[in-house]
Parts: sequence; structure tokens; C-alpha cells
Amino acid sequence: MSKRPFLGWFASPSILIAFGIAASFLAIVQFSLRAHIPGALDPGGFTLDNFTTLWKTVYGKAFVTTVLLCWWTALFTLLIGYPLAYAMVRAKSARLRSAILLISLTPLFLGEIVRTYSWMIVLGNRGFLNATLMQLGVIDRPLDLMFTMTGVVIALVHFTLPIVVVMLAAALSHIDRNLERAATSLGAGRIRCFLTVTLPLSIPGIVTATSTAFAWTFSAFATPQMIGGGKVQTISTLVYQVGFASFNFPLAASLSLVGLLFTIAVLALFNTGIHRLERIGAH
Amino acid sequence: MLTEISAIAPQDTGEDTAVQIDGVSKSFSGTVALEPIRLKVRRGEFLTLLGPSGCGKTTLLNLIAGFLEADEGELFIDHDLVTQVPPHQRKIGIVFQNYALFPHMSVAQNVAYGLRTRRVPKAETAERVREALALVKLEDFADRRPRQLSGGQQQRVALARALVIRPRVLLLDEPFSALDRNLRSAMQVELREIQSRLGLTTVFVTHDQSEALSMSDRIAVMSRGRIRQIGTPSQIYDRPENHFVSTFVGDANLFAATLLEKTDATASLDIGTTRLSLATFQEELPEPGPVTLFVRPEQCSLTDPDQPGAIAATVALSVYQGSYAELHLDCSVAENGRVMLRVPASEAMEPGTDVGIALPERGPAIYTTTERET
Repeated sequence: MSKRPFLGWFASPSILIAFGIAASFLAIVQFSLRAHIPGALDPGGFTLDNFTTLWKTVYGKAFVTTVLLCWWTALFTLLIGYPLAYAMVRAKSARLRSAILLISLTPLFLGEIVRTYSWMIVLGNRGFLNATLMQLGVIDRPLDLMFTMTGVVIALVHFTLPIVVVMLAAALSHIDRNLERAATSLGAGRIRCFLTVTLPLSIPGIVTATSTAFAWTFSAFATPQMIGGGKVQTISTLVYQVGFASFNFPLAASLSLVGLLFTIAVLALFNTGIHRLERIGAH
Repeated sequence: MLTEISAIAPQDTGEDTAVQIDGVSKSFSGTVALEPIRLKVRRGEFLTLLGPSGCGKTTLLNLIAGFLEADEGELFIDHDLVTQVPPHQRKIGIVFQNYALFPHMSVAQNVAYGLRTRRVPKAETAERVREALALVKLEDFADRRPRQLSGGQQQRVALARALVIRPRVLLLDEPFSALDRNLRSAMQVELREIQSRLGLTTVFVTHDQSEALSMSDRIAVMSRGRIRQIGTPSQIYDRPENHFVSTFVGDANLFAATLLEKTDATASLDIGTTRLSLATFQEELPEPGPVTLFVRPEQCSLTDPDQPGAIAATVALSVYQGSYAELHLDCSVAENGRVMLRVPASEAMEPGTDVGIALPERGPAIYTTTERET
């Protein structure tokens, strides 16, 4: 039983990858502790200056923007994803179920650049959305969607929806249908049944999906870069700007590192939240 | 068929009907799950729907509960037409196979759920929850979570939760199948006690024939979406009306025979080379020709192989069962080649012994051979 002859072979690719990640991670840590010499690509001597620089308002603002972006994206993804996931799990016809699954998964297959360009076409001043709304007479001036937080959130919601739908659907499908039937037999109508049984029991799934959405959005780059167009500065776009526009690799490295630690902290917070909720809603 | 049954059950007239099923049927995407069913459940009665899986018993239960909509026919509960009434307005108590207790609520909250949906005042709710938990002897577990309880305790919570709303009908969907054997019989007794004390109309679904025989006032044996026989446990066991019921409920020995002649009370038939004259309980015998003769193991007895009227057989296997032994006999005229008899353990015989099987003069039933089905 204890002898698994192929384990070594199966594990070797992952060890190789893990080694690569560890090496690049060490490189970033090393870079973050080196001084920046303007005009030179090679870093200078060891210093902690990069981290003190991060206390500047620009960088602080990027953190705040990123967190806000993640928060709004997670919230709206949840509000749209939950009904979708619910419909997917509960739809009686198998065809409808697979249609919902397919529609909610397409963003994953589109590729980031194609998807983001499409959104630029939709969100622009004379884009699909504004043109339609103006034609219909709902608005008389185009809404500012490009280069705004709203626009970035819309595109990010689309980007995050697949994982949230899939995770929520998994959580919802694990809820015993007999629980809802029991609630119904005890006199609960549809809404009460949902609020008192289905929703509380799906809370662990909601928390997991939300925290994943949070991390997913946190690392998004192309969408805030292209739709935000420099007006919506997140940590990842800032890293790009500092690193590849100013060639300040040490500062970019320390920014990445702090961003990473920040994500870990947020996810850890979610995790404790899950454990607490699981104690309430555990199966 | 129903008219025959009413003749057997003389107290049928004048009794109050709690549930009336009037030609209700159900198909799932073209497959018939339930043929039009007619069934009356009397008030206070414990009625069991018994049948193999896929026979439509659970479909019928779900139709009564309102989880499924009938394709046609009408359903009455307490003389109210409820065919179109959604389940949450039917005032029915259900105990599920897996109990379906709300895991995120305490025992007391589980039991109180049906009262809260009905906006029963708080003080009354607390009182009724306490009463219901006392009824199932779980007063001390009110604050526990369902998963902190044993299977039997969870089942009692499920029962208390269903009873506290004072349902018009209690539906039980194979509630004992998840319990181990000892606990199961204890819970069966307890449930039956509570049910008869409250005089609660109960519809019980099971595939376990011994459970059905021991618990029910009446049993409806189902197969292939139809009720094949309905009657008291002893009617079902002693006077099965057809081939299916005879083999599904209890052990049966079946012989291939030829019906030669029938009169009002007796039938003469050939089993292999043996000619017999039998009296049966059946009101209607099949036409002369190939038939199946059905005899319970306890109605058969062992005799000398040379005895007139005895059917020749050979002992194939003797299975010790404690107080008795099961003798499995090879018999060429039995439908599946085997006959089973129970004898006192001390009279068990060695395999290979030639014996004779003596059939009783009263009791066996004769069915048309074509009627055989699962």
C-alpha cells in the first residue's frame, strides 16, 4: 500500500515547476532589497529604501483602488452569479443547464486581450452601450464608462463570473433537496424556504467563491490596464508602470511583494471567516 | 379488484376517509411511473405502500405530499380537493429516509420550524416544541445540533418536527432503512405506539415486506405503477391475489401444474405425475391449462417419498437458523427447481436424502402462469 512506484515520476514535473517559482520568488525578494540606480538596469547595493518609498500616497492610493475594485467586483459577481448558479443547479431541463454553464464559462475561453477589447468597444463613449441607451433616449450624454472604476468593474465582473458560478453551483448542488422539501412540507413558501434553508446552507460556498473572486481580481492586469487606461491605477498596473516604464525593477519587486503579502492577509481573513461560518452552517 | 377487497373488509362502509386518491397517474418524460390509482386511506389508519424499487410507491407519496403534480386524477385530503394546492399549504407531515434535519438549526429550532412558518405565538411554540420533544423522549437534547445526535435520535427529531404541526396526514418515506437492525425494530414499535396514540393517519412507504407486515393496518402492494392488492397484513400474506403478491410478500414455493378441472370450492390438478385435489381461498380460479401452484413453506410438510399425493424431492442443502432449519430441496416440478421448507433444527436432514413433499388440502393458491412478473 505504502509503495507507489509512479509517485516519483508523477511528482517530478510539479517539483520542477515549484523549483522555478521558488527561484523567481527569491529573485523578486532579492530585487526588492536592492537600490535603484537611475538609468541602469542592474540594481545597486542592499537597502530597505524601496519599502519606505511605498509609504507615498501614490502607492497607498493604488492599494485602496485595488481593494475597492476587488470589493465591488466580488459583490456584483456574487449578485449575478448566485441566481445563475442556482438556475444552473435547479433547472429541470438538461439543455437549459448546459446552456447556462456554457454561457457563464465562455469568458474563460476568450482570452484576456480579446475579451478586454470587446469591452472597450461596448463601453466607449460611442460604444454599444452608450449608443443604445442614447438611441432609446434613456440618457442624453454618454456615460463615462471607459477609464473609470465603473467600466473596470463591469469588465472584471464578466472576467470573474465563471469561477464564481462554478464554485457556487458546486456548493448549491451539495445541499440536500430533501431539506427544501422538508421546509416546504412544514409550511414554508418558496421565498421563506430559500431564506431560511438554501441561503444559510450555501454561506460557506458564498465565502469561498467571494474570496476566490477577490484574489482573482486582485491579480488582474490587462483589464484595469486597458479599460482603466492609466486613470484607474491598481497594484498590478502600477508594478507594470514602475517596472517597465521607469525600469525601476527594485521598486516594482517590492511593490509586488507587498501586494502578495496583502493578498495573503486578505485571504487569511476570509479563511477565518469561513471557519466561523462553517461552525454555524456546517453540514 | 377493489370490490372484492371491500367484500373482505366489512368495516369499510361508514368509515371516515382521510386521503382519497381518485385516478391519479404520473409519467416522467413518456415513461409511466404510476398508472391511474384509486385508493382510500381511512382516518387514523396506518397504510403501507409496499413494493420493489421503481414500483411507483415513492411517486405516489410525492404526489400526496405535493412535490409532484399529477398528470390526471384528483386527490382529496380531509375531503378537501388538494390536487392544485402547493405542498406548503397541504398541512402534511413528512419523515424522510435521510431525516433531512436542518443542519444549521438546533433540535428545538428544527421542531419549531413548522410553527414559525405558521406564525404561532412564541410562548405557544415553546410549549408545543417541548411537548413534541417529550413525545419522542428527547427533552434534554433541545439545544443540540442534529449531527451531534445518533441516527435513532435524529429520526425522532424528524418525527417530532413532522408531528408538531398536527398534520392531517403523516407520510413516512422508508424512514427505517438507515438504522441498524436492533434500533430499527425499537423505532418501529415506538413509531407505531405514537401513531396509534395520536390516531394519526399515516402513509408509510417501504420495500421491506417484514416491516410492512409487522407495522401496518393495511398494505397496498405495488408493482409497475399499479396496486396489485390491498388488504390487512394477514390477507396479503395468507390470501395473495396474484402471482406477484405471493412471491413478493413472504417466502413462496411455486410448482408448475396443470389445472384439469375446477368446481366452486375445489380444483383438481396434476403436478408432474401426481394428481391432487385442493381447496383454495380464491374466489376465481384460472381456466384449466398450465398454472402455477403457490404454497407457503410452512404449509408444506415432509413425508415419505412413496406416500400417495407426495411430490418427490431430494435434500440439496440444510441451513441452520437456530430455532429451525431451512431445508432446500431439489424438485423437478418446482418452477425454479427448488422448494424450501422449515423444519425443527433437530429434524434437519443430510443432503442427498430422498423425501416427499405433502401439500395441504386447503391453503394453496393457483395462478395463471402468464401472470408471472416482477
